[in-house]
Amino acid sequence: MEADIRWLDNPEVFRVGALDAHSDHRFYINEDEAQKGTSSLVQSLNGMWKFHYSENAPSRPADFYKEGFDSTGFDEIKVPCHIEMAGYDKIHYINTMYPWEGHFYRRPAHSLNGTKQWEGMFSKASCNPVGSYLKEFDLESGLMGKRVSICFEGVEQAMYLWLNGHFVGYGEDSFTPITFDLTPYIRERGNLLAVEVHKRSTAAFLEDQDFFRFFGIFRNVSLMGLPRMHVEDIWAKPVLSEDGIGNFGLQLKLSMPKGSVGRAEVSLENPKGECLLKRDMLLPGNVKAAPQGAFADNKAAVREEVPCGTAEEVPAMDKKGENKENTDEFLKISCKLDGVSVGRVTPWDNHNPYLYRLTVRLYDENDALIEVVPYPTGFCRVEMIDKVICLNGRRLILNGVNRHEWSPEQGRCIGMKEMEQDMQIFLKNNINAVRTCHYPDQIPWYEMCDKNGIYVMAECNLESHGSWQKMGAIEPSWNIPGDLPEWKEVLMDRARNNFETFKNHVSILFWSLGNESFAGENLVAMYRYFKEKNDGRLVHYEGVFNNRAYEDRISDVESCMYATPDEVRAYLSNEPKKPYLLCEYMHDMGNSLGGMDSYMKLLDEFEMYHGGFIWDYIDQAIMVKDQVTGKKVLRYGGDFDDRPSDYEFSGNGIVFADRTEKPAMQEVRYYYGLYR
Amino acid sequence: MDCIDKVTKHLRLVFGDVTLGVHGAFQEKKFDYIFSYVTGGPESFVINGMEWLYRTPRPTFWRALTDNDRGSRFHLKSGMWLSADMFLNCVNIAVAVDGTEIPFPCAPENNKYTGDEMARILEITYTYETITQPAAKVTVSYLVNGTGETQVTVHYHGNKDLPELPVFGMRFLMPTCADRFVYEGLSGETYPDRKAGGVPGIHEVEGLPVTPYLVPQDCGMHMDTKWVKIYRSTTLDNRIRKAKPCAVRFSAGEGTFAFSCLPYTASELENATHIEELPPERRTVLCVYGAVRGVGGINSWGIDVEPEYHIDAGKDIVYSFWIS
Repeated sequence: MEADIRWLDNPEVFRVGALDAHSDHRFYINEDEAQKGTSSLVQSLNGMWKFHYSENAPSRPADFYKEGFDSTGFDEIKVPCHIEMAGYDKIHYINTMYPWEGHFYRRPAHSLNGTKQWEGMFSKASCNPVGSYLKEFDLESGLMGKRVSICFEGVEQAMYLWLNGHFVGYGEDSFTPITFDLTPYIRERGNLLAVEVHKRSTAAFLEDQDFFRFFGIFRNVSLMGLPRMHVEDIWAKPVLSEDGIGNFGLQLKLSMPKGSVGRAEVSLENPKGECLLKRDMLLPGNVKAAPQGAFADNKAAVREEVPCGTAEEVPAMDKKGENKENTDEFLKISCKLDGVSVGRVTPWDNHNPYLYRLTVRLYDENDALIEVVPYPTGFCRVEMIDKVICLNGRRLILNGVNRHEWSPEQGRCIGMKEMEQDMQIFLKNNINAVRTCHYPDQIPWYEMCDKNGIYVMAECNLESHGSWQKMGAIEPSWNIPGDLPEWKEVLMDRARNNFETFKNHVSILFWSLGNESFAGENLVAMYRYFKEKNDGRLVHYEGVFNNRAYEDRISDVESCMYATPDEVRAYLSNEPKKPYLLCEYMHDMGNSLGGMDSYMKLLDEFEMYHGGFIWDYIDQAIMVKDQVTGKKVLRYGGDFDDRPSDYEFSGNGIVFADRTEKPAMQEVRYYYGLYR
Repeated sequence: MDCIDKVTKHLRLVFGDVTLGVHGAFQEKKFDYIFSYVTGGPESFVINGMEWLYRTPRPTFWRALTDNDRGSRFHLKSGMWLSADMFLNCVNIAVAVDGTEIPFPCAPENNKYTGDEMARILEITYTYETITQPAAKVTVSYLVNGTGETQVTVHYHGNKDLPELPVFGMRFLMPTCADRFVYEGLSGETYPDRKAGGVPGIHEVEGLPVTPYLVPQDCGMHMDTKWVKIYRSTTLDNRIRKAKPCAVRFSAGEGTFAFSCLPYTASELENATHIEELPPERRTVLCVYGAVRGVGGINSWGIDVEPEYHIDAGKDIVYSFWIS
């Protein structure tokens, strides 16, 4: 297949050649690497790349991916980083308005009964910047001889990928990892990777978040060598019963060479190293083919041979059918461990974020260890009891904040340091919940929430408020995604990416469909997708507030933003259908956060009130050197000649952009401590 | 009797033609105060040689708008208080010695004095009228006793035809920046609707920090304060190369007051779009408030501060504090 620039304009093309979204597990070749958490199977491609900036697609160097292309005129750029922050395109902050407001007239494809022109909207636009990235690399030794895939953890907003002149794939969902198989084209030395990133595509209609509008490769890029037996996906299913007994099940997707045999060992240990469960699954599910010695060293009391479910033969990494000479044929296997009792367990919650250690080990036919996959897991139970949300049988109280990923120097391109600081600030100030507004965060953040007992509302990458909210009024005549069938699959993709990537995080209590996207059949489909996963979590969406026709079809909870305490009281005093939470409240813009008491009292007044998420955690402002004084100063919307803008409206944090606490934080700490 | 007189009749009054001087000493403290008839208030407060006033203190009616004030269009309803804050008319001055009002002591009335007049208590009361439509009346009286302590009593006379006030208080401009201030009250920056998390106690603040909100706005408020002590070690007096660190203390009369101690006035804060646009820090601006409006927080695009945290301009506001 060849890349097509018109995909930018077509909402039905959003993912080409990418591997299925899968769990965010790490994998190692042996116990030692697993212990240390450093894998010789992973090769980071972060660093300096060759780069060329173009104002629009027609003027981009379209052949740049070809081997032999003369890239001597290219600049260099750091990966990851936003292209604007590297000084190319203009930095721009805008809230609900689409970023082209006043510059281009646009209506989404197929809206308004398809009466509006959309072909070429992005691919032929006079201004739609393009970043052409080139990276030369040799494989590190740990990856040699293995299948190799590449993971982009975040590329905003549409990307095309080539390796050694061959088209590999295309993706749009800016905030979830996307993985491509490079095996057919990879070399041990002298690889040329080409990534073409477009600032806007049809995804722009779905990614109208109230933030600085950036593009580029802004999260990590890694190559991964896959051991010949490899866990493609894990779905752990820890269940906590009312009597405190744990039940543990598991679904695995594996790949292994066709014709080979082996086993998968699943174990669950508590932090003291005591084993609660050990199971062997024979691979590829053919028990007769398993060597007799395969279980010789398995001393687990609960040892049991579990035949695999299905084994499905697929050629290595599907599609294309060219350059297969270096790849074997692989089997993809799905296997399932039905839930078994593991006895009394310690429940996970904010007060005691007790984690168990799940480990999956793959052994080959000689019982040699091929791959180790550790994953922290925990037992908790989310349920509705008399319309009250309960966690482990106790009413859930959300002392939460909405958190954007932010650094004043790097924008949304943050690292471990910022995440660790944020977690320390959460813990210090009694914050027990976070909504990942309005896109999935980097993977380590969810791991930290698991470890520290922070309840997560895991939101999909979706916000389209500019399509139905104009100057504060509701005007949904061309609302996206609405009911348009051509926009359904792209939403399902975003839901799937969010679910599949993060499904194993015990800290996630809610899936959230997105933010401020009104309500329609496409959101119903997203809701159903999550409900059908039947994973015990609740599904949240606020937008039904503005379209009550969907009240019973989209959200498990009644969620509002910025309702006054009296409005909350009114809902909860009039035969409420659902438990209530505020997905955004206490708008902490500038010197604010007055009157928190009135919200906290609602917790005493109504069992069905569950608290909420303060808007928001951190001011979004950008550190620059002041032209006049030469000092480092913080700038906001409109300070970059960016218009239209919503100016200082991005500064609503309970911490300043540099993560120092705003004075209002002592109020948060006090009340959240009182109601912890 | 003689002994008591020495203690009680401690104030030496200088009945000038334009000002009234009040001088005295008590224990280690020497004080020299000058109350002006033209600037509409005290012009000089010198304690142990250090001047504490840069310009005459005035009632204040404005705080730099917060983002929520702008969002709720508070300024469109109450903007006239901004001009009241900037331009204030002093309409009357009354002087009382030892509790008895005297004829206004300007020439030729003051020709009868010698310069050796002593008093136990001196009280001077300034009456102001705001330029709002309609006008509001404010009286501020300064009562100086023999120990050099000054009781300031502030009385805003309500007028129900006026819009809500953002704040009401007294603003003191000091000649140079304070090194630090210490107060007994709540920790951190607090407002009437955001003070539950403030920890009661004695708190010390280094310098005159301006809370770095993205757009400069009212900040640094301290509710429920019993007293605040301002420390300075610089003066504008050309004779003094290195001043001795000195302090002045403002203490609540009954109950508590709110205060902010910043290097800027409300209008300076109001004018800046970024903190770096604020002028170099030169003064200490101490505001001692009798009433403060809440900051709100429900949203920043329309909803007002909760009703109990408004300041009704129709009601009187009376409070007092001591300067020592």
